[in-house]
Amino acid sequence: MKKTDILDVVSRKLAPFILLFGFYLLTYGHLSPGGGFQGGVTIASAVILLFLAKGTERVLEVFPLKSVHYTEAYGFFAFLLTGIAGLVFGEGFLSSFLKVKGAGAIPGGGTILLLNIIILLFTFAFYFHELFSLPESDTFPFCVAFHVDLSEVLKE
Amino acid sequence: MKMLFHILIIAVFSLLLIFALIFADHRAPDTAKQFLLEKSHIETGAANLVTAIYLGYRAFDTLGETIVLISSVTGVVFLMGSRE
Repeated sequence: MKKTDILDVVSRKLAPFILLFGFYLLTYGHLSPGGGFQGGVTIASAVILLFLAKGTERVLEVFPLKSVHYTEAYGFFAFLLTGIAGLVFGEGFLSSFLKVKGAGAIPGGGTILLLNIIILLFTFAFYFHELFSLPESDTFPFCVAFHVDLSEVLKE
Repeated sequence: MKMLFHILIIAVFSLLLIFALIFADHRAPDTAKQFLLEKSHIETGAANLVTAIYLGYRAFDTLGETIVLISSVTGVVFLMGSRE
């Protein structure tokens, strides 16, 4: 498989910033536009960029498929447990069991940050699965989906 | 001819609906909007109104959304096959 240097360099420089922006969207999700879903999608897009540049093996070293499986499965249970903890320590199912101090600070939002983290984890795991369930090929994983043989595109 | 009759009926009733919407002088209900603007950041601690609704007031709805995500992943992995 031929690979261009532009894709390699740009993805290596750009991916950390996209990841950082994803975590920014997560932590300030209850104070500014953003949140768990948006942050998860942003982080997944950085991983897609790394897929394109580095191939599947390098990315699978960083994100082993088994741990992503567990993230997807236990993220849902973590959400349920947060709800039950609200039932036990708070006022009702999914109500905040942490102290709500009002808007303005990151920890002031009660369980909203916790729920956002859980949502980010399994949104990321969702897109990771969607990507990796595509049929295997020696080119990039997307090319099968879009019916493009990228190795021939790069040869020209 | 029958087709023309049907088209005429549809046109008349859709014009009635459109005119009813244009010339109505009801204002959009804003009780919930006022309540959320005043109370949401105190009750949920989120300055972002969207987050205040989907993780504060309607977190149960978000729980259902996670079930949708999980079931769609299950379907995709079942249909396309895992990599292992």
